[in-house]
Amino acid sequence: MPTAASSRQKRPAVAPVALPGGYAGKLLRINLTTGKVWSEPWSPEDMREMIGGVGLGAMILYREVPARVGWDHPDNRLVLATGPLAGLPVWGTGGLTVVTRGAGTNGPTSTQANGFFGANLKYSGYDAIVVQGIAKKWVYLYINDDVVELRDAAKLVGKDTWETQDQLSREYGLAGHHLSVYSIGPAGEHLVRFAAIQGDYGHVASKNGCGAVMGKKRLKAVAIVRGTHGLRAADPRGLIQVADDIGHDLKTDPTARSLYEYGTLSGVVNLHKIGMLPIRNYTTNVAAIDLTQWEAPRLREGFDHRGHQCSACGMHHCHMQIIRSGPHKGAIVDEPEYEGWSGAGWTIGATDPQSVSWLNTELDRVGVDVNEFGWLCGWAMECVEKGYITRAQLGFDLRWGDVEGARKLLDLIVSRRGFGDVLAEGVKRAAEKLGPPAQDCAVYTLKGATPRGHDHRARWHEMLDTITSGTSTLETGNPVHPTEVGVTARVDPFDGVAVAKVVAGLRGRLAFEDSLGACIFTTRTRLENMCRALSAATGWHFTVDEAVRFGRRTGAILRACSLRCGITPDKEYPSRRYASTPVDGPAKGQSVMDQWEKMLDTWYAEVGFDRKTGKPLPETCRALGAEWLAKDLWGRSR
Amino acid sequence: MRVLALHPEKCTGCLRCELACSYMQTGEFKPAKSVIRVSPFEGHTSYSPYTCTQCAEGWCMTACPVGAITINAAGAKDVVDDRCVGCKLCTIACPYGTMFYDPDTRKAFKCDLCGGAPACADACPTAAITYEDTATTDWIGDFARERTARLLVVG
Repeated sequence: MPTAASSRQKRPAVAPVALPGGYAGKLLRINLTTGKVWSEPWSPEDMREMIGGVGLGAMILYREVPARVGWDHPDNRLVLATGPLAGLPVWGTGGLTVVTRGAGTNGPTSTQANGFFGANLKYSGYDAIVVQGIAKKWVYLYINDDVVELRDAAKLVGKDTWETQDQLSREYGLAGHHLSVYSIGPAGEHLVRFAAIQGDYGHVASKNGCGAVMGKKRLKAVAIVRGTHGLRAADPRGLIQVADDIGHDLKTDPTARSLYEYGTLSGVVNLHKIGMLPIRNYTTNVAAIDLTQWEAPRLREGFDHRGHQCSACGMHHCHMQIIRSGPHKGAIVDEPEYEGWSGAGWTIGATDPQSVSWLNTELDRVGVDVNEFGWLCGWAMECVEKGYITRAQLGFDLRWGDVEGARKLLDLIVSRRGFGDVLAEGVKRAAEKLGPPAQDCAVYTLKGATPRGHDHRARWHEMLDTITSGTSTLETGNPVHPTEVGVTARVDPFDGVAVAKVVAGLRGRLAFEDSLGACIFTTRTRLENMCRALSAATGWHFTVDEAVRFGRRTGAILRACSLRCGITPDKEYPSRRYASTPVDGPAKGQSVMDQWEKMLDTWYAEVGFDRKTGKPLPETCRALGAEWLAKDLWGRSR
Repeated sequence: MRVLALHPEKCTGCLRCELACSYMQTGEFKPAKSVIRVSPFEGHTSYSPYTCTQCAEGWCMTACPVGAITINAAGAKDVVDDRCVGCKLCTIACPYGTMFYDPDTRKAFKCDLCGGAPACADACPTAAITYEDTATTDWIGDFARERTARLLVVG
């Protein structure tokens, strides 16, 4: 990309201002109880300390959501934040991070989606939306530059998330990305504990029941017109250069290249090879069919498809596709991510890509987390097979791989009719309600969350990460260039201590990425490059060390929030099935529970949290630049 | 002459061209001021960029009453800011909708091919916009017709 300086500039350059580049400079505050809408500037110092996304959200949660404020309390905050890179030409920067006290664990949540939310919000002049209160009747939030209004959503209630966006686009006469709509479907309206927030046809902030929080607040949707404000970069030429460098890295780096070509489609076949594809609710890890048609190029070419990228993204990742055969032939759907193929497919024993793809979009439209639905539906199918749940309870047959049956189950859950009311409470609560032996078949964490769409019995680092996380889901995530931060690139995946050291050693990076307004898949470059991008945008000199320290500080704040919500170390265990030993496949016989206590001990020692109380130690807080947190947690004497 | 060739079947709707263009226009990332614009087709599933084709007829030049539109070194029709009086006649004359009026500066603005190094073509990650020596044409008409018809079939 040439730069403005290489061509004649038509208008005078923008005068330098105190605001760091990349930022819109304001937070948008909404009180649904009073109907008040106001904007709040935030200082350059706060921007550097919290950056945006989860960094900003965690601090708001810590300051404004005390222990007494549960997920359904009017004072709970729903933070819809983007970050300094959103709306700039770095790939995949339309990012949204949702931070709230979620309905799943009744503890902190940080969950990401992309699309154009972040870009449109920034062009409208805001870095984040902070929602509090509960509306008297259903409303949606309309943002068009300086016009910010709560509008009557009566006509949208009952509509699914795609219909909601269709209707608002029609109403405002705006097509494509000129209007970004993030909404809840019927699941969020009925406070399903694993309801999600979905937007821009296929992007989902899905974790920990953030959709139920939005539903409780009677906020149906947030609709943002692509604003007319501009975003300044401190060093635009440097920013364009690093954006191109990151793009080059993603295209050519062996660890990112497959993502660049096919997104996460390769997951099914690749994870099956190492025992990480969860099949039929963790009862097997061996596919009963030939997997040729599940190879990434075939999955993509198996549908009439079109690129459907997020803001400024060059990955060949997100696609729309048209169902080619079967009862739903002709339906336009969003190409599933790996987790869609697994949650709406393999976990429930479904292996026909056409029907799995359809079910995946049905889940997005209704607005539930595809992972938790997979664990719930797979568990129900196993329980039906074993006679723990009867046909009479459900009102229909539900056998392994029955996609139409799964769709009926979804209806039952979303409407909370009959047994659906039990299932709508999520895997853990439903399993506890039924008790053993049904409970023993359910995959969940004792905190009340469920894992991502992998079989963690062959991926211990994710199991440890999920269970120790302050957000109920991955906090460290996948290793990306681990040696850059001094962590070894390869360890024995079944050596618990080595795995725990990797999880602890990589902490911080993901929270930093999730604060930038960027996507997890377009940040799979060296951390140094992301720091260069942030520095070029803002004008700061942001180093890898500062990024890691920032991310770990955010983790410590979320841990403090989590403890305050009663999520204590005694809950850091997997359920019986989640902790079981694989009976077949490449990880057969590997027992994570034999090493679990040792893994926890190692992790706690490495991250500098107190093993007994779970609190970040005073010296840990100080080293992370959060003396105030040490005082809050341990009192002044320490 | 080198022109911006548009290949809509490759466009994924990421709108990176609009960011690059607006940066060239204003020094900021401000898609509202971009002179290349991406439109959706077939509901929300297909996209195509569109900008001035530098048509041979030059309707904008013909209509301009003060001679503010000239041809620059890259062969692009270009607005000379000092001469433009902001009458908007060019925006009415252009049959393609690729002449714009900026209420802030009170002047018309359009694609000038960035003086010979178009930023949109460089920014496009899928080569849906290329800068090449070819005859200019109606780049998206067939695509638009096909994708509109297809939507009717699906719907």
